[in-house]
Amino acid sequence: MQRAIEAAGVPTIGITLQKEITRRVRPPRALYLRYPFGHPMGEAFATAQQRTILMDALGALDTLRTPGAIVEPGYRWKRHRFA
Amino acid sequence: MNLGDLGNRVAVQLFKRLPWLGDAWARRRRFVESDFVPWTPMGKPVRQSVIALVTTAGVHRRADPPFDMTDPDGDPSFRVVPVDAPRGEVMITHKYYDHSAADRDLNVVLPVDRLRELQAAGHVGGVAPRVYSFMGHVDGAHVRTLMETTAPEVARRLRADGAEAVVLTPA
Repeated sequence: MQRAIEAAGVPTIGITLQKEITRRVRPPRALYLRYPFGHPMGEAFATAQQRTILMDALGALDTLRTPGAIVEPGYRWKRHRFA
Repeated sequence: MNLGDLGNRVAVQLFKRLPWLGDAWARRRRFVESDFVPWTPMGKPVRQSVIALVTTAGVHRRADPPFDMTDPDGDPSFRVVPVDAPRGEVMITHKYYDHSAADRDLNVVLPVDRLRELQAAGHVGGVAPRVYSFMGHVDGAHVRTLMETTAPEVARRLRADGAEAVVLTPA
């Protein structure tokens, strides 16, 4: 999917919970979280957490210059305190 | 519930709770792999760009046909969801992950509210009017349909919507 969108000239970043697949599929930009399936933006109604993850992804769009880079904020599921 | 459904529900919970299981599964499977990494640079900063969301979490409007859960190879089609669709008109059809949290708060898989808040705060230039949604489980002959037909179609539509960058969220 990311490949098709990039081929159409639109930059992409994919959030991923599956590092092994991401390493093999090699999307242009990825943000990896060690979170359970079904929770790419974090927990329900955790506004600060969801906003931080989205900001991380958007920030990576601005800063990444290396095709295939995987950003890892390293948040620990239900442990990290989001401001 | 038949035995197949029960087995699927057990597998869904195991994959949710044991991340290494997903990695082990991924190592044994084939994916559309390539050494070539596509790359389109950002034309301007995010704070001046129109951002679109694309998801593979099986989100769709209640009024639209659900994704096909009977085909073991999945469903390569996509649904269009207006980014400002009332929450009550949106649902998830996807039996290969536990979407109980996302059923309560769609932003768990599709951060529409967070994106619009970031736009209001000036962090994002604009929000694309439509979300394109897939059901991430696609296998067999449907992979080709996705790669050759559905994905390029969505890419064209994203451009037509004025999207200048895309954030993709999985299940």
